Amino acid sequence: MAIITISRGSYSMGKEVAEKVAGRLGYECISREVILDASEHFKIPAIKLSRAIHDAPSILNRISGGKQKYIAYILSAFASRVEKDNIVYHGLAGHLLLTDVAHVLKVRIIADLDYRIGIVAKRDNITRNEARGLLLKDDQERRKWTKSLYKTDPADSSLYDLVININKLTKDHAVDFICQAAGYKELNTTESSLQKVKDLALACRIKATFLEHGFDVSVTSDYGNVLVYAKAGDRLMHKLQKIIKGLDGKTKGINNIEIHSGVPFPHNAV
Amino acid sequence: MSIITISSDSYEVGREIAEKTAKILNYKCLGREILSRAAEKHGIPEANLSKALDEVPSLLGMSAKLRERHLAYIKAYVLNLLLDDNTVCYGLAAHLYLTDISHVLKVGIISNPKKIISRIASEKNISEEKAENFIKKRKEQCRRTSLQVFHVDETDASQYDLVINLGQIDRKRAMDIITETVNDRKFKPITYSLNCIEDIELENRVKAVLLEHFSNIKVLAKRGTVVVETKAFKFKKEKKCNSIKEMAGKLSGVVNIEVHTNSYIVGN
Repeated sequence: MAIITISRGSYSMGKEVAEKVAGRLGYECISREVILDASEHFKIPAIKLSRAIHDAPSILNRISGGKQKYIAYILSAFASRVEKDNIVYHGLAGHLLLTDVAHVLKVRIIADLDYRIGIVAKRDNITRNEARGLLLKDDQERRKWTKSLYKTDPADSSLYDLVININKLTKDHAVDFICQAAGYKELNTTESSLQKVKDLALACRIKATFLEHGFDVSVTSDYGNVLVYAKAGDRLMHKLQKIIKGLDGKTKGINNIEIHSGVPFPHNAV
Repeated sequence: MSIITISSDSYEVGREIAEKTAKILNYKCLGREILSRAAEKHGIPEANLSKALDEVPSLLGMSAKLRERHLAYIKAYVLNLLLDDNTVCYGLAAHLYLTDISHVLKVGIISNPKKIISRIASEKNISEEKAENFIKKRKEQCRRTSLQVFHVDETDASQYDLVINLGQIDRKRAMDIITETVNDRKFKPITYSLNCIEDIELENRVKAVLLEHFSNIKVLAKRGTVVVETKAFKFKKEKKCNSIKEMAGKLSGVVNIEVHTNSYIVGN
């Protein structure tokens, strides 16, 4: 019983590996479903959310915070999905949200650039040079996106439990390793690791709520005890308190909720 | 005759995994102990060879020319040993110069970060936050060293076939993955891949000899034909070419030598 996140560059066979692993283990395979969930829940067109998660935020986005809001919605939908356990997720940056969760197996699939160029050139009927340009741009966007959101380079192998190079090793090797690793007892769901996922999901939902009201906050949750970190002056604090009153008692999973202003937020805050 | 290279951010962890994997597979295990034999062969202190592998390039450290020569000694010695039996190799940066050889399985091992941080914090008597920063700094130094010395980024996951993080996956399971993978027929040597290793071994053996007398040497070898590129002034060109041909020609495996002299050396 585990959550498996598969991170990959575009056309690195990550999707195929994820689907095969899910099929073999009898797990649910999710990727785009997260965007559709977020779209339905927060009433935002799926295309806008897709663009938010695909393109790196520009300076304007960072100032206006528009993209941040969409990303928070997607992460909230993602966290709610993985609460169910026995999931294989392939997509952007899911593993980074779940870094401190014990029963998550984080895998990265990488493929040789030449191999990927061949696939793109054939699929899109373009020259290899054009394909190369597209792939390098895509890789750069993903890198910028992850760095802007999580201040970390997605290519850093220490972020993953397993990095598999689909060059000499095949997709089937990757599937075998991942399925084997998923059965390790270290990756069994425990009460505390499951609670951690629930807390993350709750923190993401609360953050999304604040962002809907136009406030960028950081949130932690520990067994339902929620701390909201905001950079708000006294003038805006009462508005934040109002949002909290709306959440408390109505949102499932909250034991207690407090707001802290002008205090640095911990590294594990959402 | 498969070859497994194990690279780790912790020498002790890399050594343990390499030795145990070699035992399971009944392979030879090559580690830093061979540096003493390589040093003896060339009449230099072993510490110099270790320095060539480990020291971060700096103005006050080992000169680039000296490092290049010592690395040529190491590579020639290691590659010669790798021509033989099934081998697991660690601590010798083999993954950085055994490129494009199909029967080499290159494995990166990332130690359990929490254990490493607490070990360094306790060894150096510093906080865990400082230990974490120390590790980050060391990783960046490794990256710069590998780029400058081997022209390859050691921290780039694409340099490896497999990277295993011991944070979640324990050592025994990591060894299971490695031993299972190497048994795949893709990692069995074929004539072409064996020829490639022989060519790289010959290149470095020739380079090791020539660098004792000359600098700015670039060597390429293919099935006994050796091409040496070097710099020479016009009036010394012929003498230099003849010296190179004489020195390299004495080495076993050299069938034919060409020497090209240039005004500028273009990198590999």
